Amino acid sequence: MKNIYIFLYFFCVFVVAENYKPFESTYEPLPPTNTIFRNANIYDGEGNELNNTDLIIKDGKIVAIGVDLPSSIDLIEVDASGKWITPGIIDIHSHMGVYPAPSVRTSSDGNEATSPVTAEVWAEHSIWVQDPQYALALKGGVTTFHVLPGSANLIGGRGVTAKNLQRNTINSMKFPDAPHSLKMACGENPKRVYGNRGQMPSTRMGNAAGYRKSWIKAQGYLSKLDEYEAKSDEAKELSYKPTRDLELETLAGVLRDEILVHNHCYRADEMATMIEIAKEFNYKITAFHHAVEAYKVADLLAENNICAALWADWWGFKHEAYDMVQANIAIVDQARNGTGCAIVHSDDEIGIQHLNVEAAKALSAGIKAGYDISKARAINWITSNPAKAAGIYNQTGSLKVGKNADVVLWSKNPFSIYALAEKVYIDGAIAFDRSSGLEPSSDFDIGIINPSKNRIEE
Amino acid sequence: MIKNKFLLAFVILSSNAVFLESSNLVIKNAEIYDGIENNSYQGHILINDGVISKISKTTVPYADKVYDAKGKIITPGFIAPDTQLGIVEIGALSVTRDDEASIYNIGFSIHDAFNPNSVLIPWNRANGITSAITLPRNTSSPIGGLGSFFILDSNLDISSEADIAMIGRFGGSGSSSRAETLALIDDMLSFASSLDKKDMSSDASIDEVIDDSSLASHMDFKLRDVKALYRLINGNLPLIIKTHRASDIIKLIELKNTYNLNLIIMGAQEASLVVDEIVENNIPLIVNPINNIPNSFDELASNINMTPILEKAGATLMFNVSRSHNYHLIRQGAGVAVANGMSYGGAIKALTSNVAKTFNFNDRGSIKVGNMADIVVWEADPLEPSSMPEKVFINGVDTDLTTRSTRLRDRYIRDLEKPNTYRN
Repeated sequence: MKNIYIFLYFFCVFVVAENYKPFESTYEPLPPTNTIFRNANIYDGEGNELNNTDLIIKDGKIVAIGVDLPSSIDLIEVDASGKWITPGIIDIHSHMGVYPAPSVRTSSDGNEATSPVTAEVWAEHSIWVQDPQYALALKGGVTTFHVLPGSANLIGGRGVTAKNLQRNTINSMKFPDAPHSLKMACGENPKRVYGNRGQMPSTRMGNAAGYRKSWIKAQGYLSKLDEYEAKSDEAKELSYKPTRDLELETLAGVLRDEILVHNHCYRADEMATMIEIAKEFNYKITAFHHAVEAYKVADLLAENNICAALWADWWGFKHEAYDMVQANIAIVDQARNGTGCAIVHSDDEIGIQHLNVEAAKALSAGIKAGYDISKARAINWITSNPAKAAGIYNQTGSLKVGKNADVVLWSKNPFSIYALAEKVYIDGAIAFDRSSGLEPSSDFDIGIINPSKNRIEE
Repeated sequence: MIKNKFLLAFVILSSNAVFLESSNLVIKNAEIYDGIENNSYQGHILINDGVISKISKTTVPYADKVYDAKGKIITPGFIAPDTQLGIVEIGALSVTRDDEASIYNIGFSIHDAFNPNSVLIPWNRANGITSAITLPRNTSSPIGGLGSFFILDSNLDISSEADIAMIGRFGGSGSSSRAETLALIDDMLSFASSLDKKDMSSDASIDEVIDDSSLASHMDFKLRDVKALYRLINGNLPLIIKTHRASDIIKLIELKNTYNLNLIIMGAQEASLVVDEIVENNIPLIVNPINNIPNSFDELASNINMTPILEKAGATLMFNVSRSHNYHLIRQGAGVAVANGMSYGGAIKALTSNVAKTFNFNDRGSIKVGNMADIVVWEADPLEPSSMPEKVFINGVDTDLTTRSTRLRDRYIRDLEKPNTYRN
């Protein structure tokens, strides 16, 4: 009899352990700020510009867009005439939390630069939720951001997508149901980091061999896993489940199309090589990041449905970033009859606050290059396109009825340097309001210069 | 005075018919922000031999060549006060860097390393920067290293002013207390103040001074180092010290007053906490108006409103950028400052005349009669990053706005039927 209890106990523990999925999102939105915006100019993130249009957000969702929408008593009315509305901005390349401010050794947690392949690490386990940078990004209209490990490693680990609603745990900031991502890196960084230590990779060919060896291991792991999972329940009981391997679990997740590959890669020839490797092992590259030379292979990227996440103009800090073209983003966007996927990313704590202006520079360069690109299309570079690359486009990234009400009200056209985000809503709840002074402060900001004040009162 | 200016004008005048045509030029129908007044005015600018010779608000002066600005905004060419232009080509490639010394320290000058063919120069010029101060990297000494001023005309016959400022740094270092750094700076300045003409009369006498000073011996001063220190105290040489923390700014102001230094503070992320002290003591600042990141424990008060606050209090402001290569982004920073409350005219001055005044570039940085004609005609508002220069005149010369970047762009959008290596 006693033995049965012991058995039951172990059974329960086993079942609970099997079923518990760690690190799930526990995100809860703020209480909704149900609002009707009157007479707004809207870039909807789907390529449309709508003028003198009303927008209703209610219970966290976008419920209506149109002219002269009927109001109701439960809606706050915001006069948006002369102002602009866009979807909440999404940064597909951020290191907030893993390289927080202040930039000090003790919280510099973005690169596990101890081995060229660290697919087992997860950026979310490094994130410092009290980073004062989230609030600054929010004031720039950023409602969602994707944090990646750094680029020291060939395969650097998993990234995470988060709501820009600062909370005390990362799980409570994680974007519900967003797929995981995997950071990979080409070029100078991995070969410099490991070459300097006299280990592989010290060359670009060493880099390529490193990725391929990892994928071969991942294939082996995945076939064992597939074999096990294909068995009947009875057969499973009689055999061993393959031992978990954190590194290979991540890589197998990519091969199963569950984890999205975000690949730091500057040079055109290296992007072509990475596409070959992806085809060799039958996985998909979601986006190349930084990709200063994307314009040289824009058609190849479009043909393979690969986005390019780019700066408007940063260059020259290393050799692989020397061939900068300001029209890079526009050229990628216009590839193969406008089927390219261009994203303006920041990779920078200042840049993330001004992604609208970065998009403005990229658009201006595109127009100078002779392309006919509207502002309504260019806003996609910081809204719907990064949403697609983060795998959350079904929930956010554009102002479609039924989607999450991630909304920014701008004082002026957001392609102007003078535009300021006046109100920022995340899931239909106001998170920043310039006029009322509503803004979050991290614990770091409290009393740190003057005990009775916050760090800044902007 | 730019040492090679007259030589340059002579060479071009005597050899180049195209220049003769543009040596006498009028830019008409411009909306002029002259870098002096806060507001703009409509006018026409006559340029003779590279110099602004007349500004008319009414009739268009006669010239051989006329450029019609069609009501567009013109500004003085922007002057970037904190760059590595001409001495760093690719950041991570040390063989392309000339910003560091291994023997000299305080007296290290980058002047003769300047490469007028650097691809950064046409790039920044095409974005409205016509001249720049190039600074070395900080040396191992808390003050030391000399920057120079360069005209960005890509001419191998370089127009420059050598060694116009010394640099320094002060703050949390991770290696030793800032109190020690301050004491060391104090001791160096005290040594510099003790030097007299007789000490400096010959290299042999300077060597004697070095031998007699425990500080000079300990810090391994060389002749050039001592000469630079002497100039710092006796030549009113601008000293640009990078510092952030409010209490550190106050300590530097005390040093300025003790040694009568021509002190400029760079960075100054906590300047908004010590505005009165900065203004009362006439400390010009080189700040990055777009940087509101508390990037260190010295910069906790970083604030997007700092620049407007300093302007209102009457501080002299100049702008820098936080990343290399795109020094022209000082105008994006200026735009952000205006978006947050700085005056438009004040922002234009920060990009032009404030730099010229602070560093005594007497014939640049503003559009006035007698100044060299460094003038930019803008497509639209110069503080909108999407608006680009339509024309950039340096010394009155209409410069080529082609860049390596535009060439690469064209190679991948035109003549695509040809293999890429056979295009443009």
